[in-house]
Amino acid sequence: MRGIVKRFGDVVALDGVDLALQRGEIHALLGENGAGKTTLMNVLSGLYRADAGTITVEGEPVEVRAPRDALRRGIGMVHQHFELVPQFTVLENVILGREGAVWLRRNRARAAVQQLAAQYGITLDLDARVRTLSVGVQQKVEVLKALYRGVRVLILDEPTTMLTPQEVDALFSTVSWFTSQGLTVVFITHKIREALRISSRITVMRRGRVVTTCSRATVTEQQLVQLMIGEMSPAVPARDGRLRGDQPVLVVRDLAVTDDRGSRAVSGCSFEVFPGELVGLAGVAGNGQKELGEALIGVRAASAGSIVLDGRDVGRTSVRRRLVQGLAVIPEDRLREGILPGMSLTETLVLGPHHFMFPRGRYDARRAEAACREAIAQFQIVAPDAKVPSAHLSGGNIQKALAARAFLLSSVAGSKLLLAMHPTRGLDVRATEFLHGRLRDFVRAGGAVLLISEDLDELMTLSDRLLVLYRGTAAATFERAKFDPYQIGAAMTGVGTAGSA
Amino acid sequence: MTETQAPSALLPLPYRPRRLPWEQAGIYALGVVVALLIGGVAITLVGGDVRSAYATVLRVSLGSVVGVGQTLNKVTPLLLATLAVVLSFSGGFFNIGVDGQIYLGAIFATGAAFAFGALGLPRVVLIPAVLLAGIAGGALYAFIPAVLRAVFAVNEIFVTVMLNFVALFLTEYLATGPWNDPLAGEAITRPIPGGATLPMLIPRAGTHAGILIALGAVVVVAWLLARTVLGYQIRAVGDNPRAARIGGVPITVITLFALTASGALAGLAGAVEVSGFHYRLILGLTPGYGIMAILIAVLARQHPVGAAVAAFFFAVLLVGSDSLQRSVGLPASAVFVFQAVIVLTVLLAEALRKR
Repeated sequence: MRGIVKRFGDVVALDGVDLALQRGEIHALLGENGAGKTTLMNVLSGLYRADAGTITVEGEPVEVRAPRDALRRGIGMVHQHFELVPQFTVLENVILGREGAVWLRRNRARAAVQQLAAQYGITLDLDARVRTLSVGVQQKVEVLKALYRGVRVLILDEPTTMLTPQEVDALFSTVSWFTSQGLTVVFITHKIREALRISSRITVMRRGRVVTTCSRATVTEQQLVQLMIGEMSPAVPARDGRLRGDQPVLVVRDLAVTDDRGSRAVSGCSFEVFPGELVGLAGVAGNGQKELGEALIGVRAASAGSIVLDGRDVGRTSVRRRLVQGLAVIPEDRLREGILPGMSLTETLVLGPHHFMFPRGRYDARRAEAACREAIAQFQIVAPDAKVPSAHLSGGNIQKALAARAFLLSSVAGSKLLLAMHPTRGLDVRATEFLHGRLRDFVRAGGAVLLISEDLDELMTLSDRLLVLYRGTAAATFERAKFDPYQIGAAMTGVGTAGSA
Repeated sequence: MTETQAPSALLPLPYRPRRLPWEQAGIYALGVVVALLIGGVAITLVGGDVRSAYATVLRVSLGSVVGVGQTLNKVTPLLLATLAVVLSFSGGFFNIGVDGQIYLGAIFATGAAFAFGALGLPRVVLIPAVLLAGIAGGALYAFIPAVLRAVFAVNEIFVTVMLNFVALFLTEYLATGPWNDPLAGEAITRPIPGGATLPMLIPRAGTHAGILIALGAVVVVAWLLARTVLGYQIRAVGDNPRAARIGGVPITVITLFALTASGALAGLAGAVEVSGFHYRLILGLTPGYGIMAILIAVLARQHPVGAAVAAFFFAVLLVGSDSLQRSVGLPASAVFVFQAVIVLTVLLAEALRKR
């Protein structure tokens, strides 16, 4: 790729980017949110058309006008947000678009897919419905789909953001195996350690330009940090001692919640959160975190038990009532349940706070936009202005906006409990640290945070107390003084009944 | 309760990318040009002269005071129907039943005119009563799919489409049965009392005051959607119902309101047609205004003011196309092809531009 330029309106996303990939290498594309990594790969895979520049595949200049053209050259991309049909089985998803002219030759396709999976060391139940699968498994389906289409250059966009440590390990060994089969892998990430761990070469991008391309052997972590953000990042904010209040702000008792399939996702779950503490909720994906969070928000009915928020049972009340009662939320799935894609960033930002900002029923656009500009400045959201359509923001910036929204809500509604579900997913180093600092500030000011995350490092850094959710119950509690990754990991996987009050 | 897809997910409007005004204007111009070209081919095929045919369209609909007056009379129901669609689409609801709600509004308005007219009420009371009755008729009729959708998660598309037929047959029954005008010999009712008819705005051109009502409705709907929390919540539900729910938006209330208010606007269209134009209930009161309104709403990107402009343009075509039948022999329904080509071209151009 040479001299690639891509503009969105008046924003220059790519400013003359050169990139060369070698066969059989794992090439990490490293950079902060909005550096242009994903945009560059979207150009390569045909999703966007470059405004200038050339693409050459094996010495031959090619014009990539649509994903189809890229696929013909063996270039395929697994996006950060999967593109699977949830109602279909794994097999159906893999062969989608290549079913053959008329007949669905399921058996022949099955044999081919099975052989492919075996060759590349991917284990999957081909008959499982995709909507029942965890994120990690869905990702395997996406990868298999790309391989089935004959992809030789596989682009993975932030593949580890939603995975557990174990799943990351599995992914990395699979990807290493791919290269031994002659595949080239492009690995988009903002995590320096991942880039160092897996890749053979690293290209660092910043603000739409390539800073450098280097071999892994020749760089250190510190150098990469500097290349990536252009300055040294501040240290993790210092933690303070006991702040915890006496009366719990949240009391969950014997909560039971069923999932979409009608089976018990949460049962007999009891815990408390006190003012002035940050409680982390750890657990392997699919142990009821999602359903518990939804029940706390009020978008999923609890089948038994109670949720007492600031002294009042809100278990059967509307979402709005809970917001009034002091709940603020950073939702789990930023695209599906976070943003208003077709509406402006401002309108996304005030969704929730609007109950409190406009008490007389008049939507005050000026006030909303002022709040939005403040959020853009504070959270360093990369956006041309407050009126940009929300869907135009990159994943990390959307995540920042949703965090900003929760804090806006807490400032206008006096929220007492912040439920943060995977709040730093897809955020770069700097944004993550900033958000961590804001969460700590909230706690220091007497608020309570319930942090649901799959990133154990994050949980252990931030939490005053750690709950482990295993098969829908709060299986173990760890006080900060007794944090031990090994024991926590054991509780997460249901080994023994480690844990102490 | 389940959330079905918002219209933005089905129609090609998911990102509504910001475009420069001239760029958007260019896309519209392109749509018109392509439609003119295809229309020209059709006119040539039936042996007409393209230039004189188009000149006729413009002359008939805009070339005289009477022509403009008749065009404005057509704008009125089209615009009210479009606002009904805009309101429901904004909330993510497909109200395909605007035509049925127009009929119910017309039925209620006619009934009110008969009932209150018999009491000898003065005009200043009678006209608002007739219009309010029409609003109530449309609103009540739309309340059926609204409740089914909000409470039982029944898809409103099917319900509204089927209720169109019910409304049509109810109208036929009334127009040929109890309210039939024995002197007319066709499916129309007796005329409503003179005191229940809308005053003329431009008497020379036969333009009634309905256009003022429609323009007032544009202001109200635009204000509602852009300047009120209720309107913001409707749009939020339309854009991403899950996010709206997590944001504490009462989905059930919004669903009930958006669909019912949409029906109220359609009912108002029906009442205005009865009270301002036909002076009675007739079968064929709406020649598919509700369907054209969907096209106009899509074309106007669900913006009330844009809808007014687009509705005017469509009314020009409607009025002008009647003349084509006489002068060129092109069937009047060819106008629908013309309208559809414009919308398709614009959507296609927008989709291509997005990349």
